[in-house]
Order: sequence, then C-alpha cells, then structure tokens
Amino acid sequence: MLTISNLHAETAGKAILKGLSLTINAGEIHAIMGPNGAGKSTLGYTLAGRPGYEVTDGSVTFLGEDLLEKAPHERAAAGLFLGFQYPVEIPGVSNVQFLRTALNAQRRLRGQAELSGGEFLKVARAQADALGLNMDMLKRPVNVGFSGGEKKRNEMVQMGIIDPRLAILDETDSGLDIDALRTVGDGINRIMRAPDKAVLLITHYQRLLDYVKPDFVHVLADGRIVRSGGAELALELEREGYAETVREQAA
Amino acid sequence: MSSPAILGLPSPRDEAWRWSDLSALPALAEASPTGGVIDTSGFWLNLGGPRLLFVDGRLDAGLSDPGPITCGATGVASAHALARLATGDGWALRLGADHAAAGPVEIVHVATGGASHLPALIELADDAQASVVETFVGDGWANRLLSIRLGRSARLMRSARLLQASGFVSLRDEAELAEGASLIATVLGAGGQGTRIDAAVTLAAPGAFAEYGGALLARDDQRHDAAVAVRHAAPNGTSRQLWRAVADDRAAASIAARVEVARDAQKTDGEQSLRGLLLRRTATINLKPELEIFADDVKCAHGATVGELDARALFYLESRGLPPAQAKALLTRAFVADALGRIGEEAVREAFAADAEAWLEATL
Repeated sequence: MLTISNLHAETAGKAILKGLSLTINAGEIHAIMGPNGAGKSTLGYTLAGRPGYEVTDGSVTFLGEDLLEKAPHERAAAGLFLGFQYPVEIPGVSNVQFLRTALNAQRRLRGQAELSGGEFLKVARAQADALGLNMDMLKRPVNVGFSGGEKKRNEMVQMGIIDPRLAILDETDSGLDIDALRTVGDGINRIMRAPDKAVLLITHYQRLLDYVKPDFVHVLADGRIVRSGGAELALELEREGYAETVREQAA
Repeated sequence: MSSPAILGLPSPRDEAWRWSDLSALPALAEASPTGGVIDTSGFWLNLGGPRLLFVDGRLDAGLSDPGPITCGATGVASAHALARLATGDGWALRLGADHAAAGPVEIVHVATGGASHLPALIELADDAQASVVETFVGDGWANRLLSIRLGRSARLMRSARLLQASGFVSLRDEAELAEGASLIATVLGAGGQGTRIDAAVTLAAPGAFAEYGGALLARDDQRHDAAVAVRHAAPNGTSRQLWRAVADDRAAASIAARVEVARDAQKTDGEQSLRGLLLRRTATINLKPELEIFADDVKCAHGATVGELDARALFYLESRGLPPAQAKALLTRAFVADALGRIGEEAVREAFAADAEAWLEATL
C-alpha cells in the first residue's frame, strides 16, 4: 500500500529524514517509536505534504501512485489521513461544516456523488457516538475550547467520517487519560483494522499499543529506521529505553 | 471644469481623510448618468415590506411601493464634507409612537454613471421600530446622507450593502438616540466601487444602545474607508463597533473607529473589535481605534489586529481534503461572519453572507 524508499527530507534548512525506507501492506498496523527529535512528526508531515517540509531525495508510492507529486488535498482524496499531534483550533468554522465540506471535496475529486446534509449528519452522529463525543460538540467551532482529550477524540471522529485507506496517527495517545486512551484505541481498531486498510502509529510510549496491537514496530533514530521487529519490540523499548536500543544498533 | 478645490473635497492631508482616495469623484461629479437599464431583480430580498427603487437618485415610482415612506424635501442637512452635497429631494421614514413598518424596508439604489446626492431621514417616535435594508448597485458616485432620530426605546436595524460594479459609494449617517433607544447598523462593502463610510452616532440619553460595524472586502486597487464615531453623552449607554476588513491585491481597507465618553456618561460600556486580514502582502489594512474618555466609571474594551490566514489552519483543512482555494474561503468566511452576524432578520443576514461569499469565490 505504502512504499517509502530512501526518503530524505528537511525543514527550515535542517535535514531530518536521512534515508528512511519502510513498506506497509494492506491489513497491517505499524508503529514507529523513537526518541524526541528522531524525525517521527517530520515523517507524518512529509507524507501529508505540509508546506515547509521538503523532500530532497527518495520516493514514496501510495496505492501505486507517486504520493510526493500530489498536493495535500489530493493525498487526502487518495486515501491518506494524518491524525495531528496538535489538532488546530479554527474559530468560526463548525466541525460539521468543515467535515462535510472536506468529505464532499474528497468525493468530488474521486468522482463520487456528494453527501446531502442529512446523509452526512447520519454518518457523523454514528462516529461521534462511537467515540463518546457529544453531537453538540460537532456543531461547535473546530477544536475551539476542546480539552486535549476531546481534540484527539475529534481527530478519530474525523477519521471515522472520512474513512481513509491509510491513517498516520501522530502521537494520538498524548494527552489522553486511561479511559480516553481505550476509547481512542477502540476507535482505531474499529475504523482501520480491515484487510484493505493500514495504520502507521507514531508514538513515544508503548501504552497505546496495549489497545492497538501492531504487526510491526520500528525504531526511528536520527532520521532512519534503525531496528524493526514485532509487537514485542515495543515492550523491550519500554523496558530498556531508546538509548540502549539505539546504541546496540549503532554498535 | 471641476477639481477637488471647486468641489471642496477633503484631501489626504486632512487626518480624517488620510486613507481615502477621492480622486475619482470630480470626474464622476461632472459626468452624466448614461440612463442605461440595470436589472435589479436579483437585488430585492422580497421581504414583504415597503420598497423603493432610486435610479441615479430619482425615485422610480412604478417599481416602488413606498408604504409609509415619503419622498420629497426632507429638511435634512449636514456640514460633512461629502454629505453637504446631499440637498434637495430625498426620502423619509417617520413612524409615530409604537408603530412598526410592515416588514423590513428595502431600498435599492441604482447608479448608471455620474453622481447622485440624496438626503434621507429616519425618525422613529417612542417605542417605534423599523428595519431598513439598502443595496447599492451599478456604476457612478452614490453619495448619501442619512439622519437618524430615535425616540425613547425606539429600535432601528439599518443594513447597507455596497455592491456597485465600479464608481464610488459614500455614506454619512448622523444618529441621535434617546433613552433606551437601540440602533444596530451593519455595512458590507463587497462590490467593485471605492467606499467611504462615515458615521456620527450620539447616545444622547441614558441607557441607549448603538452598534455600528460591518465588513469591508477590498481587491484590485480598491479603497474602502470607514470612519465611525460613537459619542456617549449620557450614562449607562452601550456601544459596539465590530469591523472586519479583508484586502487582496493592491487594495486598501481602512477603519477608524472612535468612542467618546462625556464626563456625565458614567457606566458606559463600550467595545471595539477591529480586525484585518491580508490575503496578499501587497495589500494594506489600516486600523485606528480611538478612545476619548472623560468619565471615570466606564468599561471600554478595544482590540485591533491585522494578520494573514493561519498557515497551520490552512494545512489542517487541506490535509482533510479541502482544495487550497476552498480552505482559504472557509477561513476567510469565518473571519467575516462575526461582522454580519448582528443583522436581525435571517433573510437579510443570509443575503449579506451570500454577497460576501460571492466576493470570496471571485477573489480566491
């Protein structure tokens, strides 16, 4: 589904990704872990096409197409979803208006019929209910006045409504208490665990992986994947720390 | 032969006019209307109230249904630099105590080139209420003076949308509010004309409420310019000035908003919110909040900020599938929405929002 080859990327003139390669097949859940500054968020932003993140070498193929030549909204329409570490507050724009506009823009680009207001609300209500987000919150401006946990839940509601093929979730677990973590974990499993979908979890900690069991775990250090393994690698990292793991690999 | 000196137009050296561009006015004042026919059918909101059509400042009686409005001499005059030209016949809405107009009054002003200067009067006796919506379309210079006198607890909703394709619209509102009276004025500049909006609102008796604001959307080489002064002359008054300015290309949108609180006007509650959005760095926005307070027990909040669209918000929207133009439009619409949200009638509010939307779609 996603093939990243020798990806080099920089931001603000600083090289962050230095030859990252990774293949994600349909039906798989991958976790990328690593110390601060390793390039985890840069990977998410680069794949989603955030301005200011420049690819200097390498390639990314998504569902058989060159991902890097697409604009951010085209990547979304192709089925890529980025869950933000810090979801943005947008005063004056309601969640419902935002998401319906977004979903219909994607559908238009894919040549699908747009959803009516009624059809959209039905989908939105189902997702909000499943994630324990009050429907009233969806009528409020995007993320304005939301707590950290509510923002992350809102990201998952958006993911449920948009129904992407590949979700890159950047520290979706940060700022969540234990109940919210379970809700979000359940959401990821419900929405994304399917034979034709895939997930890339970017995370610091092992605890989200208790709820969303990864098929593969990768350690990102200094812009490269330095180690890959199964779910047990996350436990080892938790036990030994990144420093040990990264040093071992360098040795 | 005409020149600013002959017309007596103010120059940019005058502080109150420093951001104005009146250079097109002498030629427009000299020109004659073409008398061409402009289809106004799309500009009526059909709200079921009285309606008046002015073509180049003259009433088209056949297409008007003035109801309680009289046309002719108004007795209104002003010393204002542009509004002083508005002498002669105009229109007047006078409502007796406890009266209300049957539905919002709609007035469409069509200009076919040249200049028209029109005085008007809205005089509401105690507890009377009215809503007046004015729409400016066409080309040329539409120069208007509106005198507003509100009796005790009278309520006026005044909305104006400036949608001329070219030329210039100048408005001068002079309002005086009696005890407990309420004026809510909203102006939308969303056409291709130059604009000067001038207002002097006096809260002359205790407990009055005045709101004067709107949205100025400027592109190409346009100049939109608003100068509003609200004077609290009596205690317990409330005033709000909420303006949103958007400028693209080489355009300039300027807002000078002034609050004056007289010595006796204790417990005044004044609020100014002036915000500008630059869609391009070649555009200009000038914001000038002014407070002059002589009373000691007042609350006057004011804020003035100019910025660009939030790059993080744009990327967030795009990452969810919104094409860049649509993402910009959504954020800009949200920026403007506050300023139009005070219009009471839903149909009027939606029409103004649709005009702003059309401007955004044509611009972004």
